[in-house]
Amino acid sequence: MKKGWALFLVGWLWITPSVAKDNVVFQLDWLPGGDKSPVYVGIEQGFFSAQNIEVKVLTGRGSTDSITRVAAGRAHFGFADIGTLMAAKAQSPVPVVAIHPYFTEAPHAFYVLSDSPVTRISDLKGKKVATSAFTSSNAFLPLVLAQHQMQEKDLTLIKANVGALGPMMLSGNVDAIIAWVTNLGLYKQQAMSAGKTLRILPWSESGLSLYSSSVIASERLLASNPDLVKRFAKAMHQAIEFAYHQAEQAGKDIHQQVPEVDAVIAKEQIEATYPLVFNAITERDGFGVFTKAYLATTWKYVAKANNLTEDSLDAESAVASFAFAGAAE
Amino acid sequence: MKTLLSRLWILLFWLALVAVWEISCRVWAVPEFILPMPSAIWQAFLDVEFNRWMAHLWATLRVALSGFFISLAISLPLAIVMLRSATIKKLLYPMLVVIQATPVVAVAPLIIVLVGTEDPSRILITCLITFFPMVVSTITGMSATPDELIELSRSLQAPRYRETWQIRIPYAMGHIFSGLRVAITLAVIGAVVAEFVAAEEGLGYFIQFSTSFFKIPQAFAGLIFLACVSLLLFKSVQWVQQLWFPWSLNNNE
Repeated sequence: MKKGWALFLVGWLWITPSVAKDNVVFQLDWLPGGDKSPVYVGIEQGFFSAQNIEVKVLTGRGSTDSITRVAAGRAHFGFADIGTLMAAKAQSPVPVVAIHPYFTEAPHAFYVLSDSPVTRISDLKGKKVATSAFTSSNAFLPLVLAQHQMQEKDLTLIKANVGALGPMMLSGNVDAIIAWVTNLGLYKQQAMSAGKTLRILPWSESGLSLYSSSVIASERLLASNPDLVKRFAKAMHQAIEFAYHQAEQAGKDIHQQVPEVDAVIAKEQIEATYPLVFNAITERDGFGVFTKAYLATTWKYVAKANNLTEDSLDAESAVASFAFAGAAE
Repeated sequence: MKTLLSRLWILLFWLALVAVWEISCRVWAVPEFILPMPSAIWQAFLDVEFNRWMAHLWATLRVALSGFFISLAISLPLAIVMLRSATIKKLLYPMLVVIQATPVVAVAPLIIVLVGTEDPSRILITCLITFFPMVVSTITGMSATPDELIELSRSLQAPRYRETWQIRIPYAMGHIFSGLRVAITLAVIGAVVAEFVAAEEGLGYFIQFSTSFFKIPQAFAGLIFLACVSLLLFKSVQWVQQLWFPWSLNNNE
């Protein structure tokens, strides 16, 4: 009898570490798509399991939404624009920090039709431009226009629902639209259905170089369980690398988790997003590392775009200290 | 025979409308992203697997019906209490009007943050939108009970609960069902609004998802499916009334 109990105890102790996984909630900043694939890749390819983490993914409706939910304790981790996080922290003590950079270039861009006379950003003077009402791009628009000796009043800016932007441009109601480069594949497809092609003018190419989408975490969780946060960052690091180097498989992985996402479209979105994730910045600084200098540059842009003074926030406080050494460490 | 003919005419009207829509889109080559053809919408409907439709339908129905029945369970007793106590009515009525006047779309994100991203928050949003018509219609119906009936009940020294259950509520049934018919369609709207803010499944989520991926025919398919569900729920309330409360129907219903 005693032997039986001893065997049970040994067996229980042996299996317990593999059973007791850390359950976390990951908050997306928008609906699932190719650029959100790393978290699904992490689940499907077992990067989170290897770190003893079980992840539940929630869809979101923008960076502000994602930051709010992580701050309120409804999610432990998430994707959000670090600029939005910085602006929020400068105005109130939001208990959220970035733990891993994702986009190291601004994703914002102007889209025009290929036969449009607009070939450079400066050609937009006097043109009608449509943008989504709640996109973070709107905050950076004055900065990118200033780089081309223009002001917002030089454009006729129309705010519309994101789903209406493409049709407005294709039907000739506006000369250009503002959207993220991550959606290039989708807009191309829509244009193709109308027998048209597109030209894209990324803002990053005109000097707006800054950290953008990042992996965020709850500061409370970081204080209570720093090991979990570091393990999560490590798994995300591996998942992002995998997704952007095996886009086809990443497309399949997200389709497996969210059947509504088309694997081929997701692959195209990942390929369109690649320059935002792996680029000259990551070659210079290394992938998955926040640098203090580039963070300071980002904050300068963000403060200016949001009419905040530069001393309203210590930019480094928006990033977990371990993330300066790199999540893979 | 007359009813059958009138139904046939209605069916023909709808078929003609769909045909005009299809032909117009083809003749004027209307781009799919502006107005997809009915045939493209039908194809988009078939392209989505049956079990995915059912999963989205179940997610929306679960929230809409839970919200509807919880509202019903709260609003009927509340209406009775408000009718019997002028003080409580004065206290609660303005609050109900404020809740109804506040756009649920504006408060939905706050509810999600406060209550969480699971079903309870979506059900709460649905309750907020369905609650008001139920309370108002019940109070209106019970207040409309003829004074003679109430006086008769009192002269016979009937207790207040019998006055409510045997006179006021049966008399109010027509009004209550009018409120329920409005509320059931609002319940679907409430569920969809909640899904627009936070959901991983549901017809509202599916429509938003399709729009964000520029799958306009698919979004239309979701929208038409949702409208059919809403219509079916509306008819279900009508059937319940016809089956169990036929006396509450007027001649035109």
